[in-house]
Amino acid sequence: MKNNSMLEIKNLHASVDDKEILKGIDLKVNAGEVHAIMGPNGSGKSTLAEVIAGQEEFEVGEGNILLEGEDLEELSPEERAHKGVFLSFQYPVEIPGVSVTNFMKTAINESRKAQGLEDMPANEMLKKIREKSEMLEIDRKFLSRSLNEGFSGGEKKRNEIFQMAMMEPKLAILDETDSGLDIDALRIVANGVNKLRSKDNAIIVITHYQRLLEYIVPDFVHVLYNGKIVKSGTKELALELEEKGYDWLKEEAAV
Amino acid sequence: MDLKEKLVSSFMAFEDGLDLDHPVHEERSNAMKNFETKGFPTKKDEAWKYTSLRGLQKVDFSIFPKHETTLEYKDVKKYFLHEIDTYKIVFVDGVYSSYLSETTHDGVDICLMSSAFSKPMFQQVIEVYFNKAASKDESLTSLNTAFSKEGAYIYIPKNKMPKKPIQILHLATGNEAALMLQPRNLIVAEDNAEVQIIERHQSLTGNEVFTNSVTEIFAGKDAIVDYYKVQNDEPTASLVDNTYISQKRSSVVRVHTFSLGGKLIRNNLNFYQNGERIDSTLKGVTILGDKQHVDHHTLVHHAQPNCESHQDYKGIFGDSSTGVFNGKIIVDKIAQKTDAFQQNNNILLSDRSTINSKPQLEIFADDVKCSHGCTIGQLDEEAMFYLRSRGIPKKEAKALLMYAFANNVLESVRIPELKARINKIIADKLGVRMGFDL
Amino acid sequence: MAYTEEELKKELETKEYEYGFYTDIESDTLPKGLNEEIVIAISKKKEEPDWMTEWRLEAFRAWQEMEEPEWANVTYKKPDFQDISYYSAPNKKPKYNSLDEVDPELLETFKKLGISVDEQKKLAGVAVDIVMDSVSVATTFKKTLAEKGIIFCSISEAIQEHPELVKKYLGTVVPKKDNFYAALNSAVFSDGSFCYIPKGVRCPMELSTYFRINQAGTGQFERTLVVAEEGSYVSYLEGCTAPMRDENQLHAAVVELIALDDAEIKYSTVQNWYPGNDQGKGGVFNFVTKRGLCEKNAKISWTQVETGSAVTWKYPSCILKGDHSIGEFYSIAVTNNFQQADTGTKMVHLGKNTKSTIISKGISAGQSQNSYRGLVQVNSRAENARNFSQCDSLLMGNRCGAHTFPYIEAKNKTAQIEHEATTSKIGEDQIFYCNQRGIDTEKAIALIVNGFSKEVLNKLPMEFAVEAQKLLEISLEGSVG
Repeated sequence: MKNNSMLEIKNLHASVDDKEILKGIDLKVNAGEVHAIMGPNGSGKSTLAEVIAGQEEFEVGEGNILLEGEDLEELSPEERAHKGVFLSFQYPVEIPGVSVTNFMKTAINESRKAQGLEDMPANEMLKKIREKSEMLEIDRKFLSRSLNEGFSGGEKKRNEIFQMAMMEPKLAILDETDSGLDIDALRIVANGVNKLRSKDNAIIVITHYQRLLEYIVPDFVHVLYNGKIVKSGTKELALELEEKGYDWLKEEAAV
Repeated sequence: MDLKEKLVSSFMAFEDGLDLDHPVHEERSNAMKNFETKGFPTKKDEAWKYTSLRGLQKVDFSIFPKHETTLEYKDVKKYFLHEIDTYKIVFVDGVYSSYLSETTHDGVDICLMSSAFSKPMFQQVIEVYFNKAASKDESLTSLNTAFSKEGAYIYIPKNKMPKKPIQILHLATGNEAALMLQPRNLIVAEDNAEVQIIERHQSLTGNEVFTNSVTEIFAGKDAIVDYYKVQNDEPTASLVDNTYISQKRSSVVRVHTFSLGGKLIRNNLNFYQNGERIDSTLKGVTILGDKQHVDHHTLVHHAQPNCESHQDYKGIFGDSSTGVFNGKIIVDKIAQKTDAFQQNNNILLSDRSTINSKPQLEIFADDVKCSHGCTIGQLDEEAMFYLRSRGIPKKEAKALLMYAFANNVLESVRIPELKARINKIIADKLGVRMGFDL
Repeated sequence: MAYTEEELKKELETKEYEYGFYTDIESDTLPKGLNEEIVIAISKKKEEPDWMTEWRLEAFRAWQEMEEPEWANVTYKKPDFQDISYYSAPNKKPKYNSLDEVDPELLETFKKLGISVDEQKKLAGVAVDIVMDSVSVATTFKKTLAEKGIIFCSISEAIQEHPELVKKYLGTVVPKKDNFYAALNSAVFSDGSFCYIPKGVRCPMELSTYFRINQAGTGQFERTLVVAEEGSYVSYLEGCTAPMRDENQLHAAVVELIALDDAEIKYSTVQNWYPGNDQGKGGVFNFVTKRGLCEKNAKISWTQVETGSAVTWKYPSCILKGDHSIGEFYSIAVTNNFQQADTGTKMVHLGKNTKSTIISKGISAGQSQNSYRGLVQVNSRAENARNFSQCDSLLMGNRCGAHTFPYIEAKNKTAQIEHEATTSKIGEDQIFYCNQRGIDTEKAIALIVNGFSKEVLNKLPMEFAVEAQKLLEISLEGSVG
């Protein structure tokens, strides 16, 4: 059988200021799959996302992260991005004066440069921007605004997915992309994400709520609690969590 | 003889009456030397660019008033915040009035500098704190130090809080044709202590008064000090108020300055943060008319990480009055995560009024949040229209908006009776009849 | 041992010969030092009329009485004014036979700026025949201007050819006794530009290209005078955008702009003189006086990108004399290593309904000090004056300083003045966000700095803006470890 592993995490430990947050994570995501990671606040969901993306704030102890079989440990965040890792941030930062378009142009061309490609021709870039912004029902005026500056919560998230659409990553991690979105925006964003699903890429959806998973249907659901994956299952697990909360899992984990 | 000469030559006579072996004596002599060298500041000094003391130097001030006056409480009651019970330290023509005062040594010391200088039980505090925060370079502060003899002495030991607020009142009777006063206050709030102080300078006649005051405030760890300066004096009274505040870790010091009357007022307000997580608040309301002049000169020196400062000065200037705001924020290299905010808003009411504003930032640390804003303008036209469309006549609408403009600085005043009093003064000054909010 | 007269004579002769050997090249250089004779000599060399000589002498006499200002937030070793040669002919720069002989670091910078090889040669002082082309470009250029009645020439030429105009306007905005450096400049200015736009004429091109090709070396004491007659318009781009390795220590230029009724002058500067090395050695002292006068309905807009010089002391100002006149100041000042900049503007509101806008962006890196110093003054007759000022500082690293010294003086109750200032740094989270999108840290900083400066960059003419953007990147290279 062909090895189609996209992401493989083995016994991952990570800490910040000597406080261990991830305490041995094992996770395998194959190309073409969508995994959901759920869990209560402070369980380490965002940390996991940022560690995969290479945030240097975290001290990675034991364990490995493999992308298509390649260990990411020594790679800088931008090198990981060039290899196809995309993180949709829970709290995207503002960069005043830098327009969405200019930012995307820079990002895409830097990745192309890393792959030994020429800059994307302007007309091609424009066509792509038009296509993807239409898909996400983004107003063209929005694209010339400063990145995330003065954006509403929903606009920020939609902009993250727009960037994902532009960059066509192999592995996309959506960190609480549903928070701050009203139902219409959620539908548009989910729709966009679904259009990007293919047999060649993989998506990890981090969320608190089952709601998003009605739109982006996961193949697997994992529960992260206290730095460990305490339960894995199919999409039915998400429903169960919605109904019962996390307490029963906490008790289970404590045993 | 000009004022400088007069002061210099009086110094020896002043010293005659004092204990020359006292450790403070040397501080006084050094200070005198500095004043002698520097003299009164002139407009050539950048810090005095907009305020001239030349006029005052021509007046023949009496430096050592003869004290004979007895004042009846009923005659001066209105200058006290009499609605509430307070400790009172009252000086009449620079001399302590035991009759009008209410001091204490019950767990806290609320008394006089003259006693603190002379009594052995206070000597240690004097040695540790006296003249330690005040500038040794600034000539008017030196002048005060040289003649330091009397003023309020407030010492709050660790974990203590006086039962009630303290009022310091400096009265000038007008017995002298022209009087110069140099009160010297020392306020120490040790770790976790808390104190509220109101200070007021008040002339009782139209005779000329020139006060050059120095106050040193020391806030220990976690201490909270609230200091309210009420400046609503006669049009012949001038004041240079030099206040130096030294704060330790996690302390909070809030100084409110209400400049509502007087001839020339210069406030030098200096904050030095010597620990982390300090909070310094500087607020001011200035409402002037006639030919009054107020110069707020503030300095907040952030010398440690994780500290905050908040400055908010509002000014309304009518007639031929002049306002100056010169606020400086310094953030040292090590003072990362400083959050310094400074705001100065002004309204000019007349064609002859002037405002000079110079908000400065000097920043040497990169991870800081510092901002300042300054506006000079008029009342919001839209708000005016809104009020008028609700039937409020133009004049009243204008007064109401100005009142609202000045009044939001009062939110942080923690003595409700004082807040009400200042509220009323502001309302009166602006011609607002407030049937409410008092 | 005493010399015999014979020996002395002989020695003098040999010495003369020694000097004589250089005469061919250096004949146009006056000896070091400054006195009335030197001032007269400068004037004479330029074949100036008597009134001009007298004007210079007056300035010189005033200068002698003045003291070098010390109020700016800069420290440097004061130049020895007697150790400077006040006149040397242009093109004293070394000539090279090919680009291979030119400092490779300089060429590297040219490359980064995207300057063509021919232009690189020209700028570096390599003798090339392409100059012929440039001259012809310049000539066609001049012809187009002449058809419109626009005068654009060197100030020396203007003194000869248009004395009535020079006499009428020179020193009217920056009086010769205005300040120490302005007085010095007035006494000894070597050359500079003169520009005159007749009534109602819109200058059809940016007056820059010409400058860049023809006046690579402008000298230490430049004097510029721009007069825009009623209803005219001109956009003037000053300075070489190329990184001139100008080793002259002291620069004291004066720029005067006169915008008559309904006229508009847009004056853009990109300054990137030698800032000294990364140890703070060497570099240019740049003490400039720039001021514009606005008559009724006139508008003057200063835009500057300052990345060079070891010490900068510069306050392009507007005197808003006429009713409804407008003054603008858009500035980016970048300091790195040991650079010091004290720069800002003065907006003096005299007329009614006058407006001014100040946008200043200071970026400090390394161990540099960057100060904004500005004055907004509303005089008592300036009804309804409006000002908006915004001064933002960006600090990179923990060894530099950013300072803001705004002076706001209002004497009219109808004035509306708003001043805002902020200080910020480049956030770790911003860098990570960019990294995550595949943008490396150096590029991310460039992107963020460009974003920070955008409001000012947008004010520059297009071709200038691109170069300015690259300059920002170059100036900040290696500033984040």
